[in-house]
Amino acid sequence: MGDLISNLNLGFSIALSFQNLGLAFLGCLVGTLVGVLPGVGPIATIAMLLPITFGLEPVGALIMLAGIYYGAQYGGSTTAILVNIPGEATSVVTTLDGHQMARQGRAGVALGIAAIGSFFAGTVATVVIAALGAPLTKLALIFGPAEYFSLMVMGLVFAVVLARGSILKAIAMIILGVLLSTVGTDLETGQERLTFGLPFLADGIDFAVLAMGIFGVAEILRNLDHTETRDVVHQAIGRLLPNREDFRQSYMPVLRGTTIGAILGILPGNGAVLGPFASYTVEKKLAKDPSRFGRGAIEGVAGPEAANNAGAQTSFIPLLTLGIPPNAVMALMVGAMTIHGIVPGPQVMTRNPDLFWGMIASMWIGNLMLLIINLPLVGLWVRLLKVPYHLMFPAILMFCCIGIYSINSLPTDVMFIGLFGIVGYILIKFGFEPAPLLLGFVLGKLLEENLRRALILSRGSLETFIERPISAVLLAIAAILLILALLPSIRKGRDEVFVE
Amino acid sequence: MSQPVRRAAAPLRRGPIRAGQNFAGGVFLLLLAALALYLARDLPQGTLRSMGPAMLPDWLAYGVGACGLAMVVMSLLRDGEDLEKSALRGPVVVLIAILAFAVTIRPFSMGPLSLPGLGMLVSGPLAIIIGGYATEDVRLRPLLILALSLTPFCMVLFGDLLNLPIPIFPQSFANLFPAGWSQKDVLRATALVLTVAALALYLTGRRRPATRIDVVVDEDES
Repeated sequence: MGDLISNLNLGFSIALSFQNLGLAFLGCLVGTLVGVLPGVGPIATIAMLLPITFGLEPVGALIMLAGIYYGAQYGGSTTAILVNIPGEATSVVTTLDGHQMARQGRAGVALGIAAIGSFFAGTVATVVIAALGAPLTKLALIFGPAEYFSLMVMGLVFAVVLARGSILKAIAMIILGVLLSTVGTDLETGQERLTFGLPFLADGIDFAVLAMGIFGVAEILRNLDHTETRDVVHQAIGRLLPNREDFRQSYMPVLRGTTIGAILGILPGNGAVLGPFASYTVEKKLAKDPSRFGRGAIEGVAGPEAANNAGAQTSFIPLLTLGIPPNAVMALMVGAMTIHGIVPGPQVMTRNPDLFWGMIASMWIGNLMLLIINLPLVGLWVRLLKVPYHLMFPAILMFCCIGIYSINSLPTDVMFIGLFGIVGYILIKFGFEPAPLLLGFVLGKLLEENLRRALILSRGSLETFIERPISAVLLAIAAILLILALLPSIRKGRDEVFVE
Repeated sequence: MSQPVRRAAAPLRRGPIRAGQNFAGGVFLLLLAALALYLARDLPQGTLRSMGPAMLPDWLAYGVGACGLAMVVMSLLRDGEDLEKSALRGPVVVLIAILAFAVTIRPFSMGPLSLPGLGMLVSGPLAIIIGGYATEDVRLRPLLILALSLTPFCMVLFGDLLNLPIPIFPQSFANLFPAGWSQKDVLRATALVLTVAALALYLTGRRRPATRIDVVVDEDES
């Protein structure tokens, strides 16, 4: 406990420096600004804004990136409430009651409770990260390659179970993602694999390029297909601060949402996605009058938004302690850390305590900033939401090009976002979800490395994965999950959760 | 916008394929798997004890292929969604815009074709204006204003404030300015000129009544 306080103390002393405070503010502001644009989710936002942090020193850069992430998340919720367009999977639930509230002239209250709920959830999640960081890091030290491999397999199975739509398609996307990650020079033998003999593929496919193509460009192409019907609220935004009655109705949902989101967020394989859905289902079950849901029930905004933010934050835990990114956003964080010469994993906490604790403290500050930035700026966001798409997408396109070019100064990277954009668009057309592909790609390199190492240690025996107890347990969980997900009765329930 | 509205599949069907989307997706996966196996054909598989470079890619390709095969088989047995029709215009034009940016941002040569590096000053507006034509409700004037205002913004942000090594303008352009001017002076002056041009274009265009508004604007927003 004393450790926790002194560590947080160290963190705050770093995060509260004038420069870092400014960077957190700037990150939140820019993140929200871009995240508010309909059709631009957090992944595209971070990939686009990554280059702005290059010139900073590592601590400042990561603090700013974390700010951009929260900003983009909150921006997505704003769009969900005001325009009924979810920026990404986690804000789908917010559209249900949030947009209805907006139509009833209570958009301000919906935005306000979302911000306050998120802030509370963020505060709790920050403490959870600080408390769990040290013990989980110790756990990581007893993990060998076999355990790492099994953990990642479990994470990928989670991602399959949590993906929307067909399980077969999700599995195909994950395997395809891992396959894409094997492109490039084989680290152990130095031979080039699947490169078509092209020199710029020798280093493999850059993650930012793939993410920008699949989530930036493909999303533009998908949006161009659908004629624009944007449902910006006509009603006045109304007062922003929830009144006593609103608070009375929403404090329990916020508490429950925070708990659900924080727990699910720790799971590898993008558990955070499930948080808002789970929270919404729970609130609906517990409500005295469930028919209010879908017609502007404030609980349906408060709970899921808290779960969303708690999950967004606790998903830093697998990255910071085990070095395994649990979702695509965290994979971008890995990219950013690598650029600054930091290898994410258990050693970060001991070798760069400033960075580790500074970043954790800045998470809380970031949440506070969001509250301060968003409430007065709602009018600006509304105006941004009215920019017609035929003017917005060329701008997004140019930002994508400039952003990706400035990462490596390679024109081929720019061409590849076009290529991956087309591939991503085709995949979407065929009914595939691109998110599992990205996760497979992210974990692919680590997966292969640990598989090979484990097999070298065991002299080629695959039994090592079952003989080692931790690894066996992880694989067993993965197998059970997969079987459960394939059982018809549970599958039906799973579909219902996502349909709601 | 991440949730396209899914309508029930049209009842009209021809041939044995009962789920066009799954069939096409399955074939696509099979093609990708075949491509990967073809590319890795000469690499050694190795043994489990010391895996060769091709072992994992091969396994994964078989996995992708198996999923593809399963989808093709399922599409013949079970009803499912049909392929949505889509226009070619969007993807083709966006791809051209991206390529235009890529080949003009810095010197580019490919075979007999070679282009001088024109920098962001040219490639930025190119991307915006070409890209704008990806949709049918395109109007040149707003696009021009957008290009003329976003380009100086990006020039100042990336080139001046953040000092990123991204080419802003060709050297021959800088030579047009007085000898004493530094690169940054040229950058700022150019940005200023572009902004003024954007503003002028915006103000002269205002008198015409707006022809179409595709989002509802509410008056009582405060």
